[in-house]
Amino acid sequence: MWTFEVQDGGATFVARLEAPERTVLLDVIDDVLGLLGGYEDDPRTVAPAPAAPLHREPDPLDGLVIAQGPVHTPGDPALLRLLPDASRVDPEVTAEFRRLTEADLRSTKVANLLRLRAVVADARPEAVVLASEASGVAAALTDVRLVLAERLEVRTDEDADQVMELATRDDVLDTEDREAMVARFLATVYVMLTVLQESLVGLMVSALPHPPERRRRRDRG
Amino acid sequence: MIVQPRTGPLARTGALPEQDVRTEESRSTDAPWSTIVWNDPVNLMTYVTYVFQSYFGYAHDKAERLMHQVHEEGRAIVSHGTREQMETDTQAMHGFGLWATVQTAGR
Repeated sequence: MWTFEVQDGGATFVARLEAPERTVLLDVIDDVLGLLGGYEDDPRTVAPAPAAPLHREPDPLDGLVIAQGPVHTPGDPALLRLLPDASRVDPEVTAEFRRLTEADLRSTKVANLLRLRAVVADARPEAVVLASEASGVAAALTDVRLVLAERLEVRTDEDADQVMELATRDDVLDTEDREAMVARFLATVYVMLTVLQESLVGLMVSALPHPPERRRRRDRG
Repeated sequence: MIVQPRTGPLARTGALPEQDVRTEESRSTDAPWSTIVWNDPVNLMTYVTYVFQSYFGYAHDKAERLMHQVHEEGRAIVSHGTREQMETDTQAMHGFGLWATVQTAGR
């Protein structure tokens, strides 16, 4: 259940998602996209772009978005977890990092979440992830889990264990207890996403190249 | 990874034994900066190991050792370099959903 398997000789990872599962996953993915402002580019809401000059040399920095003024720390703890402070001790480092990187980080996350959204929405009932896009999809699964965990007030490993236990409990819920119903629902979705991610990452690890170690930077090791 | 800062072995030594800080310092006149990844109860151990392997290019054993250090000690230094390089690494970690910070001596 909810596990990815290799297909096409390793080119794709496939998991089976039935209609009710797709519905709840799309729901939480959309929540996270909303949190990140991922729907601000909706053509119904976006303002017309200013007219570009007719003749201009392409600028190598085109597409790089750096805020002109300060970018404030998110007030929502779930959004703060997606876009964390870059220093725990130096506000100047944190502020400068936000100004330089937050727009870019947001668009990376939105792109990953939109890809995950498409994978889920297109599942009939097989959700197909290309091996080449699996890293972004796994990152998006992480982001959705981070937001759900924040909503479930998961702060410790013990909290996380309790969420697993809550999701698999088979007692009958009091339907009048709305808070308990919501917690049970979120816990179940969290576990579904965890199982999906664990199996996907397991396949991604198997596909990683083996040593000799790849070097990202000349003198790194 | 909602873990409070703490003073563990890393805070005293400032570096992992297998990392050669001198080569990192020698490529730049900037003060040495580090990228730190903090523990959290959400990220999967396999995923954190995958990120360290795929992004930094670390061998599986080293990636797994760093992951265990994050999990058990609350944090691990995962790279060294200039401030700009560490901000790039930190942004990448945030992109993966890991909680990372940059740090330099004296701050």
